[in-house]
Amino acid sequence: MNCRSEVLEVTVEARQVEESMLALLHTILLHRSTGKFHYKKEGTYSIGTVGTQDIDCDFIDFTFVRVSSEELDRVIRKAVSEFKDALSVSGSDGMGQICLEFYQKKKSRWPFSDECIPWEVWSIKVNVVNLANEQERQICREKVGEKLGEKVINVVEVINRHEYLPKMPTQSEVDNVFDTSLKDVQPYLYKITYQITDSLGTSVSTTVRRLIKDTLAL
Amino acid sequence: MAHFDTEYQRLEASYSDSPPGEENLLMHVPEGVKSQWHHIENLDLFFQRVYKLHQKNGFTCMLLGEIFELVQLLFVVGFTVFLANCVDYDILFANKFVNHTDSSKVTLPDAFLPVDVCTARIRDNAFVIFVLTISGVFWLHRLVKFIYNVCCYWEIRSFYRNALKMTMSELPYATWQEVQARIVEIQKEHQICIHKKELSELDVYHRILRFKNYMVAMVNKSLLPVKFQLPVLGEYVFYTRGLKYNFELIFFWGPGSLFENEWSLKPEYKRGGNRHDLADKLASRILWIGIANLLLCPVILVWQILYAFFSYTEVIKREPGSLGARCWSLYGRCYLRHFNELDHELMSRLSKGYKAAFKYMNCFLSPLLTVLAKNVAFFAGSLLAVLIALTIYDEDVLAVEHVLSSITLLGVCITICRSFIPDKHMVFCPEQLLRVILAHIHYMPDHWQGNAHRSETRDQFSQLFQYKAVLILEELLSPVVTPIILIFCLRRKSLEIIDFFRNFTVEVVGVGDTCSFAQMDIRQHGHPAWMSEGKTEASIYQQAEDGKTELSLMHFAITNPQWQPPQETTHFLSQLKERVHREVTGHTGDTHQYSLSESEPRSLIANLLAGPSTLGSVHFARDASLANHAATAINDSASALRSLSPVSGSLYLRGSLSAVQRGHTSTISKAMAGSGTDARTVSSGSSAWEGQLTSLVLSEYASTEMSLHALYMHEFHKQQSRGELPRHTWHRQDSDESSDSIPDEVRSEPPRCSRNLPRSHTFPTTAPSPSDIPKSASDTSTNTRGQEGAPPSTDRQTDSLGAGTKFVRTARVPMGGWADDSQAVPRYPEPLPEESSDDEMPPHIHKVT
Repeated sequence: MNCRSEVLEVTVEARQVEESMLALLHTILLHRSTGKFHYKKEGTYSIGTVGTQDIDCDFIDFTFVRVSSEELDRVIRKAVSEFKDALSVSGSDGMGQICLEFYQKKKSRWPFSDECIPWEVWSIKVNVVNLANEQERQICREKVGEKLGEKVINVVEVINRHEYLPKMPTQSEVDNVFDTSLKDVQPYLYKITYQITDSLGTSVSTTVRRLIKDTLAL
Repeated sequence: MAHFDTEYQRLEASYSDSPPGEENLLMHVPEGVKSQWHHIENLDLFFQRVYKLHQKNGFTCMLLGEIFELVQLLFVVGFTVFLANCVDYDILFANKFVNHTDSSKVTLPDAFLPVDVCTARIRDNAFVIFVLTISGVFWLHRLVKFIYNVCCYWEIRSFYRNALKMTMSELPYATWQEVQARIVEIQKEHQICIHKKELSELDVYHRILRFKNYMVAMVNKSLLPVKFQLPVLGEYVFYTRGLKYNFELIFFWGPGSLFENEWSLKPEYKRGGNRHDLADKLASRILWIGIANLLLCPVILVWQILYAFFSYTEVIKREPGSLGARCWSLYGRCYLRHFNELDHELMSRLSKGYKAAFKYMNCFLSPLLTVLAKNVAFFAGSLLAVLIALTIYDEDVLAVEHVLSSITLLGVCITICRSFIPDKHMVFCPEQLLRVILAHIHYMPDHWQGNAHRSETRDQFSQLFQYKAVLILEELLSPVVTPIILIFCLRRKSLEIIDFFRNFTVEVVGVGDTCSFAQMDIRQHGHPAWMSEGKTEASIYQQAEDGKTELSLMHFAITNPQWQPPQETTHFLSQLKERVHREVTGHTGDTHQYSLSESEPRSLIANLLAGPSTLGSVHFARDASLANHAATAINDSASALRSLSPVSGSLYLRGSLSAVQRGHTSTISKAMAGSGTDARTVSSGSSAWEGQLTSLVLSEYASTEMSLHALYMHEFHKQQSRGELPRHTWHRQDSDESSDSIPDEVRSEPPRCSRNLPRSHTFPTTAPSPSDIPKSASDTSTNTRGQEGAPPSTDRQTDSLGAGTKFVRTARVPMGGWADDSQAVPRYPEPLPEESSDDEMPPHIHKVT
């Protein structure tokens, strides 16, 4: 519970899934990334620069801004294409959800492993529609572009609120807050998960874990 | 080569790997994560643990307690098995002789079987193996739990030490309110909850009591099948820990439960669309869980026995009489619990009511049993006396077979008989006792008032306050009964349950899904008959029964004075407080209120006086001696209070003291209520009130104040609902088919029926009409005189109240603690019942309009 959750919902055509997801995920990550930290001996640090880049979509009338980091782009693209494949394989009514979760790690003592505590979760629900003819596709192309524009403004609004963000870490703790594996940019620790059709509910494993935890906590 | 002597030089240490222009870069200082307590993942669990550690008086106490429990369990099981299998009882009972070479004495080790025989016996006995396996699993479970707990609570301990700055040694002496205030304080610094900048007390309570609030609400709305119509026993409440566990398993955390995790209901249950599907799903789940219960029945039974043995043997061992003692039943705890009331608050409230409740139940000892018990005790006693006398004369008597055992048995027999013989100094005054009980338990069905002397009321009260032995018996039966209840009763209610969770769940930012009743919103869940007339917009379905919303709100506001309720709630509270305050201080009669917190019957009168409508009718203070008495009492307690809390003393008691000296007009109850309310208003204004002492004092006031308010609200409710039929009665199973079988007389009986009972004419303590009850203070005095003058006239009365009437005479006025000299009694003004009821009519009209 102790985490904010935002839900975005889009309705797109099958071929637009990848680009729309990329657009939204990159938009969020753009605001949740900083330049690399360079720590000084006195316990201060300076922040490196981050470039931005405009990306034009092929199937949507839309241009979005992303962090100009090839590595980050690769990671996101991989996740999104997995999601797209799963969505097309499932063949169901084309509902899916992709979650971008920002978390921080908390070191625990011996018997427990490190906890990953999410502080913000963005769930993007995707509805895939099939269109009959080229004209409808053209309309859809524009419409989805407009919708995505709205969503981006939405995201910016949410991010502009003064709400909880993990505090800036010291050098030893930087790995608990930021993903430092990338060379040119440093996003908050994040995790991308996806789910096809939302009726899955709680999985069996969480229930079992819950059961054990509860019996122990009695 | 010309040497240029300029100031311009190369700096020594300017070779660094930083890029040129570094100096122009912004430099940042990281805040770092100062504490590990920001942003806690599972706040529900976290707060629950913080609370539990506080309740268990710190880490060490908890650790030691749990270790000893583990050892005890091992010992109990091991010893029982040893006694059953490894002892040769023939040798112990000397049926068999041992051949000893050196001495003829039988030693204890002689009676032990050899190890191999012993193990063989155990191995052959399948039942013993079964029990041993289960207890082994039980023990291992507890061991793992223990280790897990140690790890978790170690963390909580460091939270107390580092974040809350409290050591474990001072924890037992800190109130929960203090701990909570500190948690609220550190939220600003550490942000343990990320949704809000500040936590409120209600948030903390909501998280700790999320599921309990649901259970309380479900019991309040009679949704849970815990009451049954049995052929012989009549209405019977069956609610055991096993049943409760199953309910919680089904609703809150079991596989496929309604809740996704601790803090949110699954989204499909929030939508009304497919409620029938969901109800079917729930019904089938209940069925499966019921079947699983049935299959696991023997295991659970052994488990329960172990548990019961474990928890109760000590009690039985120490005081065999305690089985006759009563305790608040699990159902009672659920029924009497306010929304947002923590365990310790409930327990302290119920404990305060225990004495009175016990006395109340003892009023109803069956005269027949008393006669029998007296005679049995007489015969047993004489036998015992003879045996003891003989033993004292020559202790060889003990060596005679069965003498020792018969002495023991006779002793037990006498103890049991004694519990059926009422205390000689007991007064039969159920109505007053019930009022004292009400002052502490705060809830009571409408039709009890005025019917306190009737056995129906008693039976219903015993559902809340049952024999411990019955409790244990029920627990032992529960593995068998639980699956039946689940499969046949709960399953039918699945649609209602689904509806309940959908309608009464609200999502609160920063807390998650909570029961909407727990918001204590008068507008949404208020009951027009409970002072929220005009403020509530709730339909009958939404109203909490028994004024639970209003009383809970009052209780929460009183226990958490720092809490800032929403606007309209504040309005309601201040209005109510002002009203009560006015009632209490506006009259001189309630001088006696000072003893409200005691539950002794002689403080009954004081308690009765708390009822607002009496205040005008009784004028004890007219009597000079009494007023003096009261004045000294006030002086005493005022100084005591002043020594306790300097601020409240100086602020209010001084005022009341001077008032007392002026003309006995001021009351200690004013001092109590006044300093209770106002001192705390002061405290909510300034945070200077942080000392342990003051908060303790405040919490003591709080319970008194709450009692006062509860009584006032019940009184008000009674006046309001007078004339109209009680809408809800003790049996509120409207949704249940079984409600048809409830006897009509109990259901729709207006409280004043008792007036027609012959008993109530001769027995004055039972007030003829609900509005007259509070005056029984004056009644009792009238009463006593009446009794002295005219001995019990009808046979009927002596029959049914044999004990009672006699006691009225032997014991002086119930207010003997006040006016110890019985001469004072005739000097009372003569408040005739008619008069007093006349007197109080105007205030009635006044209030109703």
